[in-house]
Amino acid sequence: MATLEAVQYKSRTRTLVTVFTTIFLIVYLIWTLAPFLIMFVSSFKDLLEAFTLPEIGDFAGMGVFFEFTPTTKHYTELFTERNFSVYFINSVIVSTGSALVSVVLGAMAAYALSRIDFKGKDHVFFWIISTRMAPVVAVMVPLYAIFRNLDLVGTIPGLILAYTTFNLPFAIWILKGFFDNVPYAIEEAAMVDGRTRFGAFMEILPLAAPGIGAFIVLCILFSWNDFLFASIIGSGGAKTLPVATRELVTPTSIQWGKIMAAGVITSLPMTLLGLLIRKYLVTGLTMGAVKE
Amino acid sequence: MKDQLTEAFVSTKAIFRDGGLVIDAPAGARNAALSNRFYFYLMMPAIIVLAAITLYPFFWLIYMSLHTVDLGLADDTWNNLKNWTRLGRDRKFQEGWWLLLKYSSLCMFFEVTLGVMIALILNRSRYEKILVTIFLMPMMMAPVIAGLVWYYMYNSTFGWYHWLMQSLGILGDKSILGSSSTAMIGIVMVDIWQWTPLIILIVLAGLKRVPRDQLEANMVDGAGDIRNFFQVTLPNLYPFLLIAILLRFMDNFRFIDAILVLTGGGPANSTKILPTYLFDVSFSFFKLGRGAAIALTLLAVTIVLGMILVRVFERPSSTRSNSGGT
Repeated sequence: MATLEAVQYKSRTRTLVTVFTTIFLIVYLIWTLAPFLIMFVSSFKDLLEAFTLPEIGDFAGMGVFFEFTPTTKHYTELFTERNFSVYFINSVIVSTGSALVSVVLGAMAAYALSRIDFKGKDHVFFWIISTRMAPVVAVMVPLYAIFRNLDLVGTIPGLILAYTTFNLPFAIWILKGFFDNVPYAIEEAAMVDGRTRFGAFMEILPLAAPGIGAFIVLCILFSWNDFLFASIIGSGGAKTLPVATRELVTPTSIQWGKIMAAGVITSLPMTLLGLLIRKYLVTGLTMGAVKE
Repeated sequence: MKDQLTEAFVSTKAIFRDGGLVIDAPAGARNAALSNRFYFYLMMPAIIVLAAITLYPFFWLIYMSLHTVDLGLADDTWNNLKNWTRLGRDRKFQEGWWLLLKYSSLCMFFEVTLGVMIALILNRSRYEKILVTIFLMPMMMAPVIAGLVWYYMYNSTFGWYHWLMQSLGILGDKSILGSSSTAMIGIVMVDIWQWTPLIILIVLAGLKRVPRDQLEANMVDGAGDIRNFFQVTLPNLYPFLLIAILLRFMDNFRFIDAILVLTGGGPANSTKILPTYLFDVSFSFFKLGRGAAIALTLLAVTIVLGMILVRVFERPSSTRSNSGGT
């Protein structure tokens, strides 16, 4: 940085810029966190308290937001009256199930694709990535028809398979980038030592392990947050948290306290998981195009 | 597809890339054929699963778009491309495309502007790590939940955002989602909130790759911060911005969860972007044949965008920094 600082600025402009950028950052910080704060705090509010606002223009009255007696009744009601424990478990099983299936099959395919060369490989590749990009609404109808014929609608395995449509291409694409970076010499050495090809594959798996772990988490995140597949393929027996939360909105009443509590339950685990794999997020969310 | 694959596998190609294995020729050839079969088996499960859940539905989609499809037991009937010719007269279909374009462009403009600004500031900040970590939280939230929370905040009687905008004099007492002139802004704001972080992350990664020597050379030539940004930083960021924009574009095609919760396409169809319209046609009116035709147009555009994206991915100079082994 020292060389950059070689060109000196008038200190007043510099202070002005610093003040402006700091204010800008603070405003953006508030804008980012406000929905989380409102969701979190409102989930502990009783109905009337949640609907209290200061007068229009009364900025000093904003403190009413924090004036309430905390209640956990929304949370307990979700679990006692609304079966949220079942939906939570459904969400966990479906998202981890799909993540594991996708990453296991994906790692095998990605490794193979990384090690061989054949005519039309580019086309196979493009097909793989395009399945990941296809709009869910577009393929939902035929997929639903197929799943219905196979009796998979409303079942956990059905929803796991549905999520595989976007998680598997993602896993193949991303993990291929990983295996491309593992030198072939390592497998050669293993095979010279008398390992089989599969043994050699197992040998290099640990090298890709941190990445594989991170992308399992990302796959979990994608399927956990999905709504469209869950509401249509999963309708009936495989209700997940986003769908259950959405169902708290009915034409006659919107149970805001419960919705906010359900929102916290749904987003808290994913926020934590996301921060855990922070390092791999850019790579994952850009399909490997950008690395940190 | 499968024939092509097997043919490709049979025509054995050298896979011993770096020529490291020292074995006599016949054994090597046998080994190569053997290993190709191994790789083939290794990738087959994924290819089969993927084909079953993507190719098969795709052909079904084409079939449906050519027939009148009923939900009941009646057989699908050929209808002389009626599903397709109707699209020409379907005002909502055309408006849907227009609204999708408008929605995506608005999102993109604000997200990119905001994202680049924030990334530039963060890049020089001492608190970059912690701030980025906080900023990316919205991306982790399920879009439906985000939609619901914003729906609550937009409410005209108890929503805090509505209160704020009314207090600042930006908005009257009608909810932002309630009138057709502002509803689009309402859904765009949610998208900005949730996805600007992605742009920040991508641009930050890009900023780390801006060659320091170019910046310094330019400064020696007497360029200030602003000139430096436009002459050196921005051109270096273009590939990153292109990736960010294409990814966001495709996600805007993919995800309508938040919009379904916030407006459902209303009021007066002012937020009925094409995927939302498609959802209505297929799942509210159950016109599956027509829905399939609309879906295919959407898929076609996505595939074109995808082709551009893959082209960008493969550009060697730009983004992949260390693809040459460890």
